[in-house]
Formats: sequence, structure tokens, C-alpha cells
Amino acid sequence: MTSFQTLAVNGNDGITGYVFMWIIAVVALTIFAFIIRSRIDLLLASQKDPRFSNLKRRFRDLINYGFIQKRQPRYLWAGIIHIMIFWGFVVLGLRSLDLVTEGLGLPIFRPFMQSPLGAFYSSLKDVFELIVLVACVWAILRRAIVRPERYEGSHKAEAYLVLGLISFLMVTDMLFEGSGMLLAGEMHGWLPAAWIGTLLLPARSPEALSVILSVTYWLHILAFFLFLNLLPLFKHFHIITALPNVFFRKLKKGEIKPARYGVDDIFDLEKLGVEKIEDFTWKHILDLYTCTECGRCSDNCPANAIGRPLSPKLLTIKLRDHAYQKYPILPASGACKGDEEPVNMVNGIIGLDELWSCTTCGACEEECPVFIEYINKIIDMRRHVLETSQNPNTFNQILMYVEKTGNPFGKPAVKRADWLKEQEVEGVKILKEGDQVDVLYYVDGYASFDPQSQQIAASIAKGLKLAGMDFGILGKLEKDTGHQVRRMGEEGLFQVLVEENTETLKSVDFKWIVTTDPHAYNALKNDYPEPYRVFHYTQFFLSLVETGHLRPKNAVDRKDLYTYHDPCYLGRHNGIYDEPRRLLQSIPDLRLVEMARNRDRSFCCGGGDVMLWHEIEQEEMRMAEKRIQMALDVGATVLVTACPFCLIHFEDTIKTGGLEERIRVVDLMTLFMSSLENPEP
Amino acid sequence: MNIIVCVKRVPLTQEVDLEIDESGKKIKEDALAYVINDWDNYAIEAAVQLQENLGGEVTAITIGSEDDEEVLRRALAMGADRAVRIDPGELVTDGYLDATILAKTISGLEYDLIFTGVQSEDRNTGMVGIMLAEQLGLAHAAVTNGIEAEEKAAKVFVELEGGIDEVSRIQLPALLTIQTGINEPRYVSIMGIRKAKKKELKVMTLDDLGFGAEALTPQTQIEEVFLPPETEGAEMIEGDAATIAETLIRIMGEKGVTV
Ligand SMILES: Cc1cc2nc3c(=O)[nH]c(=O)nc-3n(C[C@H](O)[C@H](O)[C@H](O)COP(=O)(O)OP(=O)(O)OC[C@H]3O[C@@H](n4cnc5c(N)ncnc54)[C@H](O)[C@@H]3O)c2cc1C
Ligand code: SF4
Ligand code: SF4
Repeated sequence: MTSFQTLAVNGNDGITGYVFMWIIAVVALTIFAFIIRSRIDLLLASQKDPRFSNLKRRFRDLINYGFIQKRQPRYLWAGIIHIMIFWGFVVLGLRSLDLVTEGLGLPIFRPFMQSPLGAFYSSLKDVFELIVLVACVWAILRRAIVRPERYEGSHKAEAYLVLGLISFLMVTDMLFEGSGMLLAGEMHGWLPAAWIGTLLLPARSPEALSVILSVTYWLHILAFFLFLNLLPLFKHFHIITALPNVFFRKLKKGEIKPARYGVDDIFDLEKLGVEKIEDFTWKHILDLYTCTECGRCSDNCPANAIGRPLSPKLLTIKLRDHAYQKYPILPASGACKGDEEPVNMVNGIIGLDELWSCTTCGACEEECPVFIEYINKIIDMRRHVLETSQNPNTFNQILMYVEKTGNPFGKPAVKRADWLKEQEVEGVKILKEGDQVDVLYYVDGYASFDPQSQQIAASIAKGLKLAGMDFGILGKLEKDTGHQVRRMGEEGLFQVLVEENTETLKSVDFKWIVTTDPHAYNALKNDYPEPYRVFHYTQFFLSLVETGHLRPKNAVDRKDLYTYHDPCYLGRHNGIYDEPRRLLQSIPDLRLVEMARNRDRSFCCGGGDVMLWHEIEQEEMRMAEKRIQMALDVGATVLVTACPFCLIHFEDTIKTGGLEERIRVVDLMTLFMSSLENPEP
Repeated sequence: MNIIVCVKRVPLTQEVDLEIDESGKKIKEDALAYVINDWDNYAIEAAVQLQENLGGEVTAITIGSEDDEEVLRRALAMGADRAVRIDPGELVTDGYLDATILAKTISGLEYDLIFTGVQSEDRNTGMVGIMLAEQLGLAHAAVTNGIEAEEKAAKVFVELEGGIDEVSRIQLPALLTIQTGINEPRYVSIMGIRKAKKKELKVMTLDDLGFGAEALTPQTQIEEVFLPPETEGAEMIEGDAATIAETLIRIMGEKGVTV
């Protein structure tokens, strides 16, 4: 049996149609290759980035996030629309190939299509054609009528063009198959889309039908090749790049990339950080190609929410526009690759305060359906800013202090254990070289020196004692982990700290490390090369409760309603959501309520690094203020957190906002200690 | 414009409980962290900014041990072109000797300007710059907080009491002691400091400079170093903010301050 395609291409005989089709295909593919070449050029010019580790996990994630699209329904309706279109594309891909190959006179899919399985496929394809059509119309209406804010700054015309084109592809195929069936005078199986097509066609006029058959076929083919060539020009490049981008995703959250992959000693490098587009790694360039401009990142970015000059989506769009300008499709249009820069990328296209606005909270990366990375790009650009002395002046002294004294306050190292005296904690071992303990309590700078955070340290020390743990602190041997300095872009100093702390940790014998601070926890766990068995205190104390070492007895006031704020470096970056909640709920009578934004959608308190020392002027309100409002919105009277920086930000905001009557903030450790029957051993 | 900057490495003493050593004439220095003298940081920045605008070379000099080279590498990382360390060996210098050694070193170099800090954080005598100018027979301006350099002269802004600036023209070559706040010294990263190892750093001994032992006698002698005696009279005001404020107003009233 002749296929409708063949009929459409050549009428009943002759070969002119095939020739025509070959011309279209060759021209279209040549143009496509030409366009893609400039995209590949930049990928080749960019930096190394090893992304082939852990293939099993990568394939699993590709299925979960690439094909099952698990992140899509985080925005329910948009997610559903997208899943419909995505699966439509997967199913309709074969149909397109079939249409094209038939037209080329290479009917390789015909045997399949004419088999019973092919009949089933045809029905399936028809169903998806309708699904995709509905989804596209829905998406167009959503954009035009609902106008979600997160599309602000996206390329809107492109979106309409592509949605329109997809709808056009669906409609032409419906009409094509419909007219074919009418001409053949029979229905081929159950084909709902084609059936709808037949309703729109002049069933009684075979002449008109064969014209329509041909015209819709060729329009479909032309639209198909046009679509293919439009992809790499716009955000719809993601149709090609998204699956690879998901496959090559960053696997270890919380970790900051090295200055350059494949370089053991960064001091061998000529320069640090990203100054030009080519200084990004190929994966970060692929990110730029892949961004769908959906705006989910910015919608969740706390910096964006409080009016700081940062929107992750726009950061990507700006970098992409810059990349495409620097690597244009037509080389004649004044491209200058490599060294000559017509404009500064950093401190030009991307503003300095745009970079410093980020708290590295990770909300954007948690949300992005195609796993685009922000933190590493931002830190990489910060590295360049710092190396070229364009950093805020306030950093100078902080970094000098960290270098010279091991803490950002410039307090003498010999005073690092003085919090024991100041907080009246007795009997804590201060470790020396060669000492042996079960638990090494890594206090870190803030909990050692900041009076507010010291209280957390005191509770931890007392709790460990109460549980009969064999533990000690490093005192003057301990230096800050360097979490902050690394995120400020001072990679050299970070490396020095890693070296020094690693030496120190080597010199004592311990089984586990417990930290006060989620940032120190993250640094030791994800940024340090040694595989320490490190726990945040919430994890450790939960296990002490669950193994019966500690038993919270004192009930809290039932009038209070507690809510828990997930610190970014505990939650999103390290997946510790349940332990703090379980520890909280081990306290008798504690009533816990969740804020609207909780767990992986937690809203940053203002951050534990740059923000402590640099104020972004362009800010409508403080992040902490917004977060406290969220707690008030659910009627909470106590905001519990598990990080010294959250505590500082919240306490400060409650005081300056005069909110003491309505809500108070407490660190989970302090709260937990007060629930123990006999907190003073 | 060739500029020479004299820099010194000093202990970071903030919040350190200083201890006097057994001799009673020195502070125990082993547990201290060392940094560049704050004033000198501004002096380097001032020199580098002038050099960036007007060309020429910046040379940083320190008198000190190998450990003190750290501040020279810092200066190099900030943009100085070369550095000289004069190793004093066993000699313990005072301000006068520092000025003398620096004068001898500098007299062999070409320069338009010499920058020192107004004073150093450890000794705070504020003498070296001025004595150095004297020994080299140069005009000087002390406590400089602004410079506009031309070919053969410079307009200098000098800080007087009460926030008043004195503006004058000074013939070059000249020496300026640089006040903090004259600029915003740039950050130099650890990476930058390591990289600066590639730049020239020359080490000279007192012999190289041609000093005989007799020429180098300190002009100051430290008899005793002691911590300020703890005095009575500090009153810790306790209570909430309102009580504290009230007490403060009462005390100030008693001392004759009307609020
Ligand atoms: C902005 C500023 C802030 C300062 N802050 C401090 C501070 O916090 N702490 C501190 O200790 N110092 C401070 N100083 C330094 C200090 O106030 C004076 O600079 C210093 O005391 C003056 O001593 P001198 O010998 O250097 O000054 P000069 O001004 O040269 O005084 C010379 C002295 O020589 C004598 N003299 C001068 N001419 C004659 C004459 N014709 N006949 C007789 N006698 C003469 C007088 O006794 C005169 O006082 C500050 C200075 C400035 C400008
Ligand atoms: S890490 Fe947080 S602050 Fe930074 S861009 Fe992403 S969402 Fe915004
Ligand atoms: S980075 Fe991701 S979340 Fe943000 S706009 Fe692009 S695709 Fe959407």
C-alpha cells in the first residue's frame, strides 16, 4: 500500500517530490550544522569539567528528571503542560522521522508503521498530537492572560513563535492524515486527531483533498525544518540540550568547584576565576544554552525577592546574550573571540553587586528543572573580582584577620577556647597533638567568639558531657574552616586554611566530628578533601536521643507555637530536613507548625558569608524580615533555627523591627538543652 | 615618577593580652600574629596609584628578617616593581637607626618621592619618616592625606588639628609621611602574594651598605617596659537600656556636662 506521504510527495508516480525533499533536507541540515558550529566553538573554547563520574546515578537522574520530569510539577499547572508537551515530542519524534524519510524515498519505518504495533503507535501519536495542541494553546493563554511574574525579562516573542509553530505542526499533521484518510475512503485504526481533521475537510471533493494532502504535508515538513533551525537560536535550544544538561548535572550539592579542574596546585595557575565567557567550564556554557527562561530560579531567589540587583534567570540570559554575541552565527558580524573584549563581562554585563547579592542559598538550583548551576558560576566570577582587587573594601580586614588569626574578628588564636570560661562551661578537653577522643567538636569562629553564638557552643558542650561522650575541642589549634572565604572568592586563602586545618585534624585521633554550624559542616563534608565522618549537631543529638543517651523531659509551654527554619547549608545543600524536626519533636508538648516555605523551599535568612560584611544598598527589606513574616503568617510564636548566622540575622531583625512581643528566635540546641531534666551535669 | 616606600611588619596587638618578657624591656612576641603596618599599607597604595597614573617604578624597602619579607611580597603584589630587604643581623634598631639605614640604602637609588607611614603600630614614635628626610636632606610633609603630583613638584594635603587640611606645594624629590585614610588600599589575595614571588626581591646586609659597627649606635635606650597600672574608678553600669541611660546622664551631670 502506498503511504499518504508518498502520495503527498509524488502524487501517484514520478520522482520530483523526492528531489524536492532532498533539497529541503540537505539545505536545512546544512544551515543547522552551520548554526550549531558556533555553539560548539564556544564549548570547545571553554574550560575542562569532569562530568562522567557515577554514571549509574547519572542515568537514574536522567530518567527521573529528564524523562519523568520530576521537578516540573513543583509548579503544578506549568509542570503539567510541560510534561504533556515533552512526552508529545518523545512520541511524535518517530512520526516526524517517518514523514521525512518517506519523503526522501527511504521508507525505513514503513514496515513498522504497517504492523499491528505501528497501528497502536499511530493511535498513540494521534492522542499526543491532541495533547500537545491543547498544551500549547493552554500555554499561550497562560502567558497572555495569567502572565506569571516569573516570565518577566524572558524572550516573550520567541515563546509565542515556538508555541505557535508547534501548534502548526500538530494541525498540519492532523489535516494531512485526515485528508489522506478521506481520499482513501477508510479510517486507518483509531486516529482521533486525524478524525477531527476529517471534520474540517471538504470530504466530498477529492481534488481539493489531494491538494490539501500535498500542501499540509509540505507545510508540515517546512515547519519541521524551520523549527529545527530555530532551536539553537533561542531558549528552545533546551529541546536539544536539556537531556544532556540533566545527565551532566552537578551531583554533589554544597560543594564549590575548584578554581580549575585538573590543576592540583592553584598557585600554579596564571589567574583565578572567570573573567571572560571562555573561562567558564563547558558545562556552565551548556547551562547557558539550556536555560528555558522559565524563571523558577528567580521566583525562589531570596535576593531577588527583597529587591537586590540579582535575578538568576536574568544572569543566565545576559551571559547567554553575551556568549551569542561573541560567538555569532555569521562570523562577519564583528565577532572577536578570545582576548579582545569589547565590554567587560564581569563588572560590566554582570554587575559587582549582582554577584555579591547572592547568599549561595541554593534555592535557584533546587528549583531549576534542567539543573542549571548558579553558585559555582557566581563564585567563579567573584574569584576574578577578588583577584583583581575589585571586592568591597570591607572584605580586606576580614580576610586579613582570617589569614592571620584564623577567625574573622581578628581575635588572637590563643583566646579561641575562652568561650568555655565566658559561658561557664567546665571540664571540656582542649586537645593537643596526639590526643585521642571519640568526638571532636569543631566549634568554628562564630561560635567561639560571637557572644550570641557562644551560647549554642555552650549547649553543645554541656549536652555532649551530659550524654557521657568522650569529646574535646581544638582550642587555639582550630581555625575557621574557610567556608566564608571560599564563597567570597578568596580561593588561595581557602586552600591555605584547608591545608592547615587538615594538618591539625591529622594530629589528633578522633572518630567523629560534630559542628555547631551548618557552614562548617558543609565545608568539612563537601569542600575538604579528607572523608571525615562529620555530623551537624542536630544529627548527632538526635542519635543521642534515639539511642537513649539523652531524654528530653521538660515540656515547653503549650501556648507557644514553634516553627522550624531550615538553614540553607543544612537543608538544601545537605538534605538534613528530618533530623532537626525529629529532635524538636522529642521535646515534650512542643507544637510544631510548618511555614509555607519549608524544607527545600526554605527562604534564606540573609546568609552566612558575604552578607555579614557587605551591605547591598539596593534592598527593599532584609531577608530575615521577610522570613520572620512568613513565621508570623502561620501564627508561630517561636522561630527555631539550627545555625548561628540565622540566629544572628533573626534576632537582629526582631529587635530592630520591635517584634519581641510577637515572636522570638531560639537555636534548636539551646532549646533542646533546656528540655533535658538536669541540664547542668 | 619613581617612588620608594618604606614598609614595616608589625604585630597585630588588638585584644591581645600583652606580656612582658623576663628582661622587662620587651614584649613577648612569639604568640603574636604579624601584619603590615597599617599606615604603610596606605603608603604603598598611594605609590602604586601614582605609578599607575604617571608611570615610573615603585620600590618597597624594609629593614628586617626573612619573615619580614612577607610585607615586601605584599607590596609587590599590590603593584610595586621591586623590593629590597636590609637584614640588620643581630642589631636591634631604634627609630634613629632605622632612618640611618634607610637613608644609606636610598641614597644609592633614583627617586622622586619617598613615602613612609606617619608612624608604626608597634612603636608609634612617628619619627622615622621625618628623620629620614633630614638625613637625605629632603623637604618633607608629615601626616599627608592627599597628593597631586606633577613633573617636578607635588601639591600635598596635610592634616592639621581639628580636621583642617593644609595645602602646600613641595619640590621633588621629597618625602611624605602618609596618613591612613588617604586612599582605600586594595586587597591582595594570597594567590597574588604568591605570584609576587616572581618579582625581584634583593637582600642586603649592613656590610653591603658599608656600615662600620661604630656608626650604628641606637639613640634610644629602653629602661623598662610595663603595662599601664590598672586604675580604680571604672564603674560598670548595670541594668536595662533605660536605667543605663539614666545613670549615664546623672554621672555626666555630676562631672559638669549638661545634656
Ligand atoms: C590631626 C592631628 C591629630 C593628632 N592626634 C594626636 C593624638 O591623638 N595623640 C597624640 O599624642 N598626638 C596627636 N597629634 C600630635 C600632636 O598633637 C602634635 O603634633 C604634637 O604634640 C606637636 O609636637 P611637635 O613637636 O611635633 O610639633 P610642632 O607643632 O612643631 O611644635 C613645636 C613645638 O616646639 C616649640 N616651638 C615651636 N616654635 C617655637 C618657637 N618659635 N619658640 C619656642 N618654641 C617653639 C613649641 O613648644 C611647640 O609646641 C595629632 C596631630 C594632628 C595634626
Ligand atoms: S543561590 Fe540563592 S541567592 Fe544566589 S542566586 Fe541562587 S537563589 Fe539567589
Ligand atoms: S535557570 Fe533553570 S529555573 Fe532559571 S530560568 Fe533557566 S531553566 Fe528556569
